[in-house]
Amino acid sequence: MSGARPAFRKVLQLRELPILFYLAIMIAVFSIAVGGFFSFKNFENISRQIATVGIVSVGMTLIILTGGIDLSVGAILSFAINIGGLGIVAGWPMWVAYPFMLALGLVLGWLNGFLITRIAVPALIITLGTMNVYRGVIMVITKGRYITPIPKGYQAIGSGYVPFIFLAVILGVFIYISLNTRFGRNLFAIGGGEQSAVYSGVPVRRYKMIVYTISGVLSALAGLILVGKSGFIQPQSGLGYEMSAIAAVVIGGTSIFGGSGSVLGTFLGSVLMGLILAGLTMLAVNPYWQGLITGVLIILAIALDTVRQLRK
Amino acid sequence: MIAIENVSKSFPGVQALDQVCFTIRDGEVHGLVGENGAGKSTLIKILSGIYPDYEGSIRFDGAARRFTAVHEAQAGGVATIFQELTVIRELSVAENIFLGREPVRPGGRLDWNAMWSKSREVLSFLDAPLDPRAQVGRLSVANQQLVEICKALVLNSKVIIMDEPTSSLTEHEVRQLFALIRRLKERGITILYVSHKIGEIFAICDSVTVFRDGRHIATVDRHATTQDQVISMMVGRSLSMIFPLRTSRRGEKLLSVRGAGRAGEFQDVSFELHEGEILGFAGLIGAGRTELARALFGAASLSSGEVILHGRSIGRFKHPSRALALGVAYLSEDRKREGLMLELSIRENMSLAVLRRISRYLFIRRRRERELVDSYINKFKIKMNSMDQLVESLSGGNQQKVVISKLLMTEARVFIFDEPTRGIDVGAKYEIYKIMNDLTAEGRGILFISSELPEVLGVSDRILCMREGRLAREFTRAEADPEAVMRVLTGGDAP
Repeated sequence: MSGARPAFRKVLQLRELPILFYLAIMIAVFSIAVGGFFSFKNFENISRQIATVGIVSVGMTLIILTGGIDLSVGAILSFAINIGGLGIVAGWPMWVAYPFMLALGLVLGWLNGFLITRIAVPALIITLGTMNVYRGVIMVITKGRYITPIPKGYQAIGSGYVPFIFLAVILGVFIYISLNTRFGRNLFAIGGGEQSAVYSGVPVRRYKMIVYTISGVLSALAGLILVGKSGFIQPQSGLGYEMSAIAAVVIGGTSIFGGSGSVLGTFLGSVLMGLILAGLTMLAVNPYWQGLITGVLIILAIALDTVRQLRK
Repeated sequence: MIAIENVSKSFPGVQALDQVCFTIRDGEVHGLVGENGAGKSTLIKILSGIYPDYEGSIRFDGAARRFTAVHEAQAGGVATIFQELTVIRELSVAENIFLGREPVRPGGRLDWNAMWSKSREVLSFLDAPLDPRAQVGRLSVANQQLVEICKALVLNSKVIIMDEPTSSLTEHEVRQLFALIRRLKERGITILYVSHKIGEIFAICDSVTVFRDGRHIATVDRHATTQDQVISMMVGRSLSMIFPLRTSRRGEKLLSVRGAGRAGEFQDVSFELHEGEILGFAGLIGAGRTELARALFGAASLSSGEVILHGRSIGRFKHPSRALALGVAYLSEDRKREGLMLELSIRENMSLAVLRRISRYLFIRRRRERELVDSYINKFKIKMNSMDQLVESLSGGNQQKVVISKLLMTEARVFIFDEPTRGIDVGAKYEIYKIMNDLTAEGRGILFISSELPEVLGVSDRILCMREGRLAREFTRAEADPEAVMRVLTGGDAP
């Protein structure tokens, strides 16, 4: 009894608790309201929906933990698959095309980090710029054309539970890294007080470069899965991913100012958004409402976070 | 007359004020002292309208008033000058003074001439040679504070609350502030002067109220008490002396700085620090002491000169991490921005600089971390519930101990302490001095920067006086008397 109590209290203090609660409510409501919602087939569908944004959100979490932000994730995703797609149509084997696309993500992410750490301008502005530059390059090169058809082999990564397995592995790795490594701890420190971190000997620049680079690679990876899922590549791929990712991070309880939050929370945030969108779609709610609802969710999440801050 | 009657205020888990009763007479300078957590800030926030929820009542000239917002308090004649100044740096002096009450001409256009001329009027009443059009961000902290006082005057305030008004001022500026307070008093303005600094309270106040642990201990006439009595009321015990006895012996040379300079900040600074020595840096704000410290630590770069550590020239540090690796640690004057991560836990704050040492490969060994943090919490008697508590929730003194613990863990040999006792209470100050003593007893050396003259003189073995970016003179502990040092700092001895 006495041993169970502290454990129970610990559960109550979990910052992910509120969102778990909302998740449970959502699942209950939709399961009752929507026929066929509570089924393996549907969950597999939803899991595929969640996976791509979910993977991008993991990278976004690391960045927001440091007090930064990256608006160019969707553009990086699109860049990787559109430029990589040229290789795919040229008949490159997968073991060349995949690493090439990931490398594109790495380079663009690194470039973001480089600019952010060398120019004294907020990440918001820099990545707003790079987002437009990356998207501009895509349009120039592809001239706005779709790339299709995609060979069958490339579609394996987007079918069944494969996308979700990728997400799960990435989640596991980054949850562990964020909680147990020097790298993870330093991300929180940078977001919690950048100048203090510098004065404590933390190589802030290097760590920032690393998170933006990781985010670039993860965005490209989400792109590969998206290609597998949809079977074609369009220049507008990944449009709005930055907003969905930021929403998942914030709804998941990570402070938009950095320093506190969790990768797990972000995952729950993206699941919550995925469930709501899927449920609304099945209820045949006009898709125009979906943006509105996501927006309300974001504001609610931030309001909750602010209230929590004020109570301290 | 302000009568504070049975005022209580509690926060979850803390009784911040407990049945406080005392009166402030019209036209007096009333000192309010107490250690951190004594309830001074809570009372200020109640009087200035930030905390409208409290028990008890407050009467202004017999009429009970309860302010529910800062502007309400201002309209009611109570203006507060917070420790963290609320001026807007981008705006001019006049715009700040009239912020929110700008005089307008018909049609809504700003009446600049009225603003400037009225600002000049107030400034000249305060004997302050400031240009109403000057940008506030470019002024010294002392002058920014002056702008706040002007704001209060323009509001026709009858009561001005000053919260730790001298915390960022040099001795010289403090004297100017005191002259100003006397003028305000002549004009019939009541001043509630809240401070840790007993000496100041006795220099300027007519009566003194002492708080301890949220309770009112006493309100006494200044002439009817002594500093020792007030200090013992504050801490509940008597401090036999303010500074601990220096016992360490000077050993080998640790650090030599030769001809250090940085464009526009300081030039040609040379000195040596020995093992077991506390080398004090006295100076007015802007004398270049903090700039020198930051450059020695690698947070800014030296433009000339060299640094020799343990007999080896290390050139110039490029990044603080390099300084830490070579055993030089810096305690910043700006604890909140450059020392702590307020929203992280005590544990995460303390271990940040030594993560490498407590890790195996990339992974932090949690048990080692907890043991290490725990040992420092015990060593410095840091008051807390859990090491996972956010640093934000600690008092200033305990926060400072967290930063010092972080630095000590690095096992540095040279420590640069920049205003280590700023904003912390008397008891905690004494503990910091003791920690400095213990460090030097272990053979480490400390560069000690402080704007409080008694502290520099009381703690240091040698005192270097900096003036306008240069070393002006060195005093030994024996020959340093406050007036002589002050003459050097203010340039009064210049030929």
